[in-house]
Amino acid sequence: MSFTLHDYVLSGNCYKVRLLAQLLEVSYTINPVDFHPGKAHKSPSFLALNPHGTLPVLESGDTVLTDSAAMLVWIAQQHDKQHTWWPINDAECLAMTVQWLGFSSQLTESIGQLRLHTMLNRPADAETLRRQSIRHLRELENHLTEQSIRGQAFLCGKQPTVADIACFAYTALSPDAGLEHTLYPGIRGWLHRIRCLEGFLTMPGIYEAHETRNEHTAAS
Amino acid sequence: MNAALEHALQDWYPVAMVGELAPGECKHSKLLGVDITVLANHAGNATESTPTITVRADGAPVDVQQAFDHWWVCLGNKPRSLFTIEEASEADRRFVPCGVVRVACSPLRAVENFLDIAHFPFVHTGVLGAEPHTEVYKYDVKVDESVDEVIATNIKFYQPQAAKSAEGGIQTEYIYRVPAPMAAVLYKTCPLKPDALDVIALFVQPLDEQTCDVWPWMALYDDTSTQAELIQFQQLIFLQDRSILENQLPKKLPLDPGQEIPTKADYTSVAYRRWLKKRGAYYGALEVHP
Amino acid sequence: MSTQPVSLSRDLTIKQVMRAELGDVDMAVWRSASGVVSAWENRCPHRGMRLSHGFVRGESLACAYHGWHYNCAGACHYIPAHPELAPPKTIKANAYNIAEASGIIWVNATGNVAPIDIPSSTVPVRSIPIACPVESALNGFSKHTHQSLLTQHTQAEIIADTPYVLALTPVGSNSVGVYIAFQHVNDSTTVAHITATDNASMNDVVALSRWANEVRDITEFSAGVSE
Ligand SMILES: N[C@@H](CCC(=O)N[C@@H](CS)C(=O)NCC(=O)O)C(=O)O
Ligand code: FES
Ligand SMILES: [Fe+2]
Repeated sequence: MSFTLHDYVLSGNCYKVRLLAQLLEVSYTINPVDFHPGKAHKSPSFLALNPHGTLPVLESGDTVLTDSAAMLVWIAQQHDKQHTWWPINDAECLAMTVQWLGFSSQLTESIGQLRLHTMLNRPADAETLRRQSIRHLRELENHLTEQSIRGQAFLCGKQPTVADIACFAYTALSPDAGLEHTLYPGIRGWLHRIRCLEGFLTMPGIYEAHETRNEHTAAS
Repeated sequence: MNAALEHALQDWYPVAMVGELAPGECKHSKLLGVDITVLANHAGNATESTPTITVRADGAPVDVQQAFDHWWVCLGNKPRSLFTIEEASEADRRFVPCGVVRVACSPLRAVENFLDIAHFPFVHTGVLGAEPHTEVYKYDVKVDESVDEVIATNIKFYQPQAAKSAEGGIQTEYIYRVPAPMAAVLYKTCPLKPDALDVIALFVQPLDEQTCDVWPWMALYDDTSTQAELIQFQQLIFLQDRSILENQLPKKLPLDPGQEIPTKADYTSVAYRRWLKKRGAYYGALEVHP
Repeated sequence: MSTQPVSLSRDLTIKQVMRAELGDVDMAVWRSASGVVSAWENRCPHRGMRLSHGFVRGESLACAYHGWHYNCAGACHYIPAHPELAPPKTIKANAYNIAEASGIIWVNATGNVAPIDIPSSTVPVRSIPIACPVESALNGFSKHTHQSLLTQHTQAEIIADTPYVLALTPVGSNSVGVYIAFQHVNDSTTVAHITATDNASMNDVVALSRWANEVRDITEFSAGVSE
């Protein structure tokens, strides 16, 4: 099913949907919503679509989804023919995927909020958000360290799942909020592996994977 | 008071978009190290569509004026005049204030980056540039003495998606102008109207020497894109620059030649640094020892 | 300044670049496609961009800003804005002395690099940052030895002091040994680079990784910080 994504270019949650759609080569229509500075996501017409007043919103026929994790599952369930992104044939991996999808929404509340504060002057209790963000980065780092010791390159196994996409966004964007990846080697390696995936898509704050192109001498 | 600050105090800086605050609404900000409050006044008469504002610096009211869809303030006692942008009065253009973005960098580094084209293929990949089209051809730079502005002309660069309205890659022509130490204006090929130029400006509000609020503004010919599309195109570009700007060392802009290595592609930046030095515009610059 | 550990070899794979800090020294550490490791001042000579944000292409590190390419010797050999130009030899990244030994990358920003010889340590565990001075971290890891892998009778011995390297050698039957090299980032940040002897199983290494996290919590708590 094709869909319309009500989107904001700087939103990490919108980016998750754009990234998975690109990786799975799913085409869709974008409707840009003036989140900043216009606060159009709090306008009456938008609230009629999504009473939470948040982005993204996915619309397809009568289906209206207002949670990015739900959108990732909705897209993967229809387009992930190999069942690796949404691993319905592997009970343990699927369970882990659900667990880390849950974690990803915590990242929105910590790093995501801190980023809006640092970058777009949103009022917030920056010190509390910073502490929460560091706690979340440490939790992710602990898990990724164990995964790499076990020879697993991604959050739930050897293959990336929708949970990797969901956690990737705000983790990769944490420097926007003043939190660098320097002291998190497990996170660093994992971000690099995701950036180098075939069909990867960037957004502002996440560098293009220039290293995956040829050397300049080979450029045509 | 130090000379760098004294110099910077006499210029005008944006602190809010027109219509950003509702009547009675107030926000706190900073300008040149001074705490300011911006208060939207209650409308004096019903025909006024947007409220005027009152700005206080350390409690005392300061001069404000409205231009290019923003409110500008000057904290100094000998204000220079605010520069002009002729296109701001052309009624058939779309005016697009893009909101504010905070960047932990020197206000001068923010302006210098805006004047640079060599980074397009690497920072704005697939939009304003792409390998292998990386070459910067010779262009002209001078200080226009009649207005005391830096001006760069005859710039050409291949761009995969020059503007929201562009369909496919085009050879884009640019003119750059630095009308004040913390503002820059560019004129570039308009994809929808080949005989006209789109205008994009960067207005920088220096919070202090190493932090700024940046207010991009555009005056375009485009009757197909929505306002949200135009704003997001500009935010896409500027937020890519932000990651770079927060990672340049030293934080303050070096003005002495020899501390960094320019090439021919950097003539605009060289002229900008020289011009800053000549006017004594050192706020946000590394200490210069004359 | 002295020789300091900056990363486990495992954590800097081919074609990766990372940032490391030693006091006021900010550096970019990277590994080329063929495996050569370099550590440079984290500042592109062109317009000052941190080189740790750059990207590796073959045997070159390229800057994220304008794509200037530097070879493993630090010489700039390609300026994309002027593709035909042979860059002057004077354009060079400022390189530090670096060595890879015992599964760790060591750097000295001001002199010769003298890696600490860690006998028979071959299994990487993890590099973990602790928000405390190096002495507190050293103390924490000496006192809170692992309950099952490292027995009560573990001998904690400081086998080097510039930089600090701690050896935890169990006296009991289980013979997994642990080595910890401490990176002095600044007065409130230390990184513990942890390796184990090669008889450690995968489960042992996972257990040691968890233990390191616990030691960090305890150490930061007693140092009065809680991140
Ligand atoms: N659970 C939602 C959360 C979405 C969310 O918080 N979105 C942000 C933008 S990234 C938002 O719209 N926030 C509203 C606001 O901050 O005003 C999801 O993951 O889609
Ligand atoms: S700053 Fe590194 S290439 Fe320009
Ligand atoms: Fe840019």
